[in-house]
Amino acid sequence: MSSSLTLPADRTTERPRRLLLALGGALIVATYLFLVIVQPTEIAGGMGSAASLVSLFGFLGGGALLVGGILPMLTTSSLVIMPLGIALNIAIGQVAGSLGLQIYLDAIGTVLVAVLAGPAAGAATGALSNAVWGLFNPFALPFAAGAALIGLLAGLAAKHGAFRRVYLAPVAGLVVGAIGGLVAAPVAVFMFGAAGTFGTNAIIAVFRSMGDKLLVAATKQGLLSDSLDKIVVFVVVALIVYALPQRAVRQFPFARTHRVLGARSGQRAMTTAGAGSVR
Amino acid sequence: MPRRRILNPLTELLAAVLLVVLVLVVNRWEFSLAVLLLVVVPAVLTSGRVRQIGLAVLLIAGPLLLSSLLLHGLFFPEGRTVLLDLGPARVTREGLAFAAVMGLRMSVFTGVLLTAAMTLDVPELLATMTHRRWNRKLVFVVGSAVGLIPHVALRAQQITRAQQARGLVLGRGPVARVRALLTVTTPLVIGLLVDASERNRMLGARGFSSPGPRTSYLPDTDTPRQRAARRAMVVGVGLFSVLWLGSGVLA
Repeated sequence: MSSSLTLPADRTTERPRRLLLALGGALIVATYLFLVIVQPTEIAGGMGSAASLVSLFGFLGGGALLVGGILPMLTTSSLVIMPLGIALNIAIGQVAGSLGLQIYLDAIGTVLVAVLAGPAAGAATGALSNAVWGLFNPFALPFAAGAALIGLLAGLAAKHGAFRRVYLAPVAGLVVGAIGGLVAAPVAVFMFGAAGTFGTNAIIAVFRSMGDKLLVAATKQGLLSDSLDKIVVFVVVALIVYALPQRAVRQFPFARTHRVLGARSGQRAMTTAGAGSVR
Repeated sequence: MPRRRILNPLTELLAAVLLVVLVLVVNRWEFSLAVLLLVVVPAVLTSGRVRQIGLAVLLIAGPLLLSSLLLHGLFFPEGRTVLLDLGPARVTREGLAFAAVMGLRMSVFTGVLLTAAMTLDVPELLATMTHRRWNRKLVFVVGSAVGLIPHVALRAQQITRAQQARGLVLGRGPVARVRALLTVTTPLVIGLLVDASERNRMLGARGFSSPGPRTSYLPDTDTPRQRAARRAMVVGVGLFSVLWLGSGVLA
């Protein structure tokens, strides 16, 4: 829709883009593995500055590389809803955070963009929304890579049909949330000593009083809160997109070609006149 | 009254980020405290928005500091020196020390970045990014998101009021809460998507996706000297970090 008909498409930039994506992904994975495998002993004693530096640079740098690789390949229709997703994340996340809930609800916009515009747009929305949120709440900044991962996984889930039925959404949310919680925990521990809201810290305190290490306790809390949070978020997003008018969904090529919403994706009028998928 | 602007926003943001990096590299409570007292407090006081920044820091860092103190002060199984035994919870010296180090770090982190962000002139930052030939899609997404946030918040408030006028009452159970959330977010998202599709057509008509450099309507406030200073700051902090961490490993 946004590709130019008069100007030649530039193929020369394809390779560095792939390289950026691969580098960004590799950096995030390497950072996570380093934090989990090498450092857990350190936090109890010296709480190494190296660990917090690695988590800051690894995850932020990886997120930046991913955004740099993703942005040039997005169409205008995806780009236009990214600010919308970012603003939704921040507006709803801010409210949930100030109420001291055990869940964050700061990924509704990311998942919405991922469902409508695909995994790449979702990942970029997640990373950028935490970067923009960092201007109002600096504590959101280091979690950019985790948010990007949520967007990517939500988009992949949508591509493979997790949003075609309402009961599939919470299952996908559970899986995505568990992975997101695993990734976010070391960031919280090494940057801020696992400080969060009163709700999340109460859960960590329970695990700590049973004698768990801080990283272990924060990971368990992450698994618990994030899965719960993403279940709610995925269900909310599924219900929102089901309520959208078809015209709004049909403007997104990703939602159309992958039939993200099943029969609601807006293809039935054109392709399946008698194919039996008319509800 | 906003303070008189001396430096380009990009320079200020970079300086703030590098200060945070320095605090993480040095990782001593004395250094964090010094930065807090000698840099952050004067910066807030001379910012011209003392009350807003102070309130924001208090609202964001306050609950985190308090809950961190409770968490590590009461539950720190690694602690040896027990100051007070409360059954499952034990107040230990090591836990309190850990909470203090993390608390100071978080205070510097919030103070520095919030002061930089809240005195930031966003249009000027975006103009600088355009002049420096940053990716225009990035500039569009960031600029448009920052502009959209107050709009979304206002619209959410209006929709909430409209739904309340129609009889929406926030129930106690989790299902009722999710339902209340949906009655507000669904119209919000539909309205925003309709806006977005209109914007999509307008941007398409104005050649948004065509390649080539962009012109900014705002003048470039960046100077070659500041550009050099930014590079020097990055190199300086990088060298210092390598030396500091290297000596720490060797010692």
